Order: sequence, then structure tokens, then C-alpha cells
Amino acid sequence: MSGSAAIVHDLELEAYGFGGDHPFNPLRIRLTLELCEALGLLEGYPFVAWEPATDEDLTTVHTLAYVRMVQQASRGGGELWDLMHYGLGTGDNPIFPEMHQACARVVGAVLETCRRVMRGEADHAMCFSGGLHHAMRSKASGFCVYNDAGVAIARLKEEYPGLRVAYVDTDAHHGDGVQWMFYDDPEVLTVSMHESGRYLFPGTGGAEERGRNGGIGYSVNVPLEPYTDDGSWISCFEAVVPEVLRAFEPDLILSQNGCDGHVLDPLTHLAATTRLYEHVPSRIHELAHELCEGRWVATGGGGYDIWRVVPRAWTTLWAAVSHQELPERVPEDWLAARGGDSPVQLPRLMRDDPADYPSAERIAEIADRNSRTTEQVLEKVLPLIR
Amino acid sequence: MLLVRDSMTREVITLSPQTTAAEALGLCRERRIRHLPVVEGGRLVGVVSDRDLRSAAPALGDPGRASALERIRISEVMTSEVVTASPDDPIDEAANRMRERRIGCLPVVESGELAGIITSSDVMEALVHLVGAHEPGSRLEVVIPDRPGTLAGVAGIFGILGINIVSAVAGPRRELSPGESSEGRVAVFRVDTIDPSEAVDLLGRAGYSVLWPPQT
Repeated sequence: MSGSAAIVHDLELEAYGFGGDHPFNPLRIRLTLELCEALGLLEGYPFVAWEPATDEDLTTVHTLAYVRMVQQASRGGGELWDLMHYGLGTGDNPIFPEMHQACARVVGAVLETCRRVMRGEADHAMCFSGGLHHAMRSKASGFCVYNDAGVAIARLKEEYPGLRVAYVDTDAHHGDGVQWMFYDDPEVLTVSMHESGRYLFPGTGGAEERGRNGGIGYSVNVPLEPYTDDGSWISCFEAVVPEVLRAFEPDLILSQNGCDGHVLDPLTHLAATTRLYEHVPSRIHELAHELCEGRWVATGGGGYDIWRVVPRAWTTLWAAVSHQELPERVPEDWLAARGGDSPVQLPRLMRDDPADYPSAERIAEIADRNSRTTEQVLEKVLPLIR
Repeated sequence: MLLVRDSMTREVITLSPQTTAAEALGLCRERRIRHLPVVEGGRLVGVVSDRDLRSAAPALGDPGRASALERIRISEVMTSEVVTASPDDPIDEAANRMRERRIGCLPVVESGELAGIITSSDVMEALVHLVGAHEPGSRLEVVIPDRPGTLAGVAGIFGILGINIVSAVAGPRRELSPGESSEGRVAVFRVDTIDPSEAVDLLGRAGYSVLWPPQT
């Protein structure tokens, strides 16, 4: 399997972050790119340039009132209570200077990533900064101000009438923002696999959420039990994703590759390792070639163990997008350059050793419940997708 | 909020005492309902459930069933002593009344006239809204010592951190017998944050025990 690849990035994208000790830290992207570079995986892939999203782009899925409020907040304006009504200035989404510009650049970057692939300039393309899947129509939520995937899908649908987009979200949190934006739309299939919302934010994404009106069957949710490990996660992924994508026959696959389901992630209670984050991109890659001539756009997403997990998981993702072998070892240069800054011991191998992460005692029961959820989801949605 | 009037169905399908059982069962199937108030001259005179109707006629498969259903009038099978609710009753009171009487619905009567109907599914829907299950949030369970000011203490910690509370429900840790006093309450919060870890940490330091999420 082959094809050309592109990466969309520049330093200004790393301005999207909330500062201080906020868990959403753009340093994770810097660390990832440095690791890719140290491994030689960026050679021959110059960063692609692009324009920030315009107000017209943003209002394909956001309200103008919300965009204006973000712009006002960006300049230090707005009354706190008004801002909070739009999810701004909260603990999760504190206001930072130029936040509108920073987020509009992320959206513009993902839009360009998608357009490259649609124009045939690359088979697969990647933007680490994308994946802000919680942003709602009129509200910032869960570290996400504007919804990059939402805007990109809505814009592409205008530019290519009849386009069918499959959005596959394997972040540990439900991809609620994107789901609700296309909940009625049978041309956009959203598939989200995540830790059950019984406890975890945002609480939605139950198996019974399947879309509405004409879009019924085109929102697919696989809520996984807390402490789900690679084995169970991968078998649920294999049971659901290829089947629903084949039934849907997309023209483009857009994947949100949050890596916060890793056992070391501080925000969630899942127990995956790098094995999952190697498996998912390689399968999406195969499906893109099988179903839509390779058209695949990958973005980042959540991931809050920024030292031990994110750089390796997303380097692995980029290796899949760009058809490069994943080296075995974390390069000494990178360890030497960054080891001193890290508050934790950095891993020396690109892949986790499963022996380091024994499964939860109840793993058989967890796997059993997950596979029952999976069967139930398939039974209900497959007959509805056409 | 949380009154019967907020959750009841206002457009009620009713029967007259002269309606046949066959016709009433047809309505149940067509409209997917299980409870029908019976009204005569604008006044509520009874209530009938699909179960009352089914069990009034010979069993399914009996050749006499269809004709019996045609013959039976609602007035013969309905319950005339109707347990009702008023629109201003708290929903928990209506729920308790249904639970104690083991019935699935209460016709709602206002100034002597039928104003609506409330069923056990309406009560469940109210519960879903009460806990805010449709809005983004993380779930936290905190043990609250049973004394004044402790709930405010927890809420204050969320306030300091700029975390909005989507919903808060507090109650005894387990079901109590009448007169028994609880050794502590559990409050279940849905809070609008993707990252409750700082809140959990502060709660722990303030002496609250957090049941979920687990602390690492």
C-alpha cells in the first residue's frame, strides 16, 4: 500500500493552548514533532502553508454570536457572565490573548489538510493540532473553542456536493460536538469509540445515540467500560469500524486520533497502550485504500500524558500516514534534549511492553460487556446505513 | 420545577364509558399507550389499562375472545375509584403514590376537570433531565457529612475553580427505615469540566471523601 502524504503545521499552531499548568499543553505537539524529526520521519515532508479560517468558514457550524463573543474575549473584552454562557472563561476553557486567531488557525489548518486530499495533492494528510471535537455550535467545551472537523466537513460538503464523509473518533472522550453537528445528516457518518459516559466527560455517547430524522443510523457510538485494555478495544474496533464504513462507502475518512485512552493518561480510566495507537491508524489506512482511493485525513485530539504517551503515539500515527517504518527505539538525541525537562522517566522504546501494564482483575468481565455493547450497536445501526 | 404540570402529557386520549373494549385496545395499539382515562360529561369517571382490557375477555386463542371484546363496555372493566394527581403536586409525591399503589399512571385533575395524565415513563424522563444527562459533564460522587454547610463547602470548591455545576443530587447513602438517621449523605454532581482532577484533589484536602473518580 502506498500513496503520497502531507503534513500541515507551523509554529503559530502551537499558540493554541491555555497556559500555566492547564492540561491542554501545546508542548505535546512540539515534543511530537521533535521526536518525528529525530527519527528522520519528516524528511521530504515540508510543512504546508495555509490561511486561518474566516468568519464564513466558522459560521458553517458555529453561530455568529458565538464567534463574535470569542473575538471579543480574545481582545480582553466581554462581561464574565456573558462569556461563561458561551463556555469561555471557565476552568476548562480559560480566555487567553488572541484565542480567536489561534483557534481559527487550527481550523484553517485542518480545512487545508482536507482540501489537499480532496484535490488529490496527497493521498493522506495529517494535522496534529486538529481534533477539537467537543466545541459546540455556541459553546466552548472541554478545551475546544472551534470545531475543526465540523467546519472542515461542512465546507467540503459545500465544495463537493454529495460528498460522503466518515468521521472516526478514537479519543477516550465521546466526540460529542462533531456528532451533534451532523446528527441529522446521512452524508456524514460519525463513529465514536470512547470510555463510557457514565462517569467520564462529556457523559454522552451511549449506544442508543444513533442519529435523528434522516440521519438515523449515521451516528455510531461504542461506549467502552472503564479499564478496557488493548485486546478488548481492538476487538471492538475490528467488529464495528470496518463493517460500518463498508456499509457507508465514504469518499473521505477523517480520523480524530486522541491518545488519552492510554493507561498513563491522567484524565481517563482506560488502559490502552501504544499497541492500540499503532493498530488504529494502520487499519484506517487500509480501509481508506479499500473504500475511498486512500483519501484519509488524520488529526490529533486529547492526550494529557504529554511526555511518555503523546509524542510516541502521534509519531506512530504520522508513520502510518506517511508509509514509513516505525523505528524500535526512542532516539538518544531526543532523550538527551528533552529528558532533563521531563518530570517523569521517558520510555526508551517506541512501543510499550505489555508486561509493564498488567490487565485489570475484572478484564474478562470488562471484555464481555464491551463485546455485548458492540453486538448491540451493530445490530441496531447496520440495517440503517445505506 | 419538578411539579406534575412540568412532566404530564396534556393531550390526553380518553374513552367514554360506552366505548367497547375492542375499540379501546385498538387505540392502545395505535397510539402506543397503556393507560386511558374514562370521561363522561367532562368529568373523570374512571381509568382503564390495556391489562384490564385484555384480562376482561377470554384468553388469547379462545374463539370467543373477539366477540367478547366487542361486547364488553368500558364501564364494566374500568376502575372507578381513580387515584389522581393535581398539576401542582411535586413529581416525587406523584411517583411515590404510583409506587405505593403499584399503578403506572395518574390522571391529573384541576378544578374537577381532566387536565392531563402522568405515567411512570414521564417520571423517568424527569429523572434524566434532573441529573442533566443531556448536557456535557463529568460525574463526581462525594460523601457529605450530615451537617449544615457541607454541601456548600463542596459547591464552593467548584466555584473557586470556575467549574459550573450542571446538576446536583444529594441523598442518604442507602435506603433508611423511617426514623433512622443517616450516617452521611452522598452527593452526585455533574460538573461542566473535562478535568475534575484538581477539584478531586481539593475536595480530598478539605476532608471530603470522593467515591468517584478514583484517585491515583
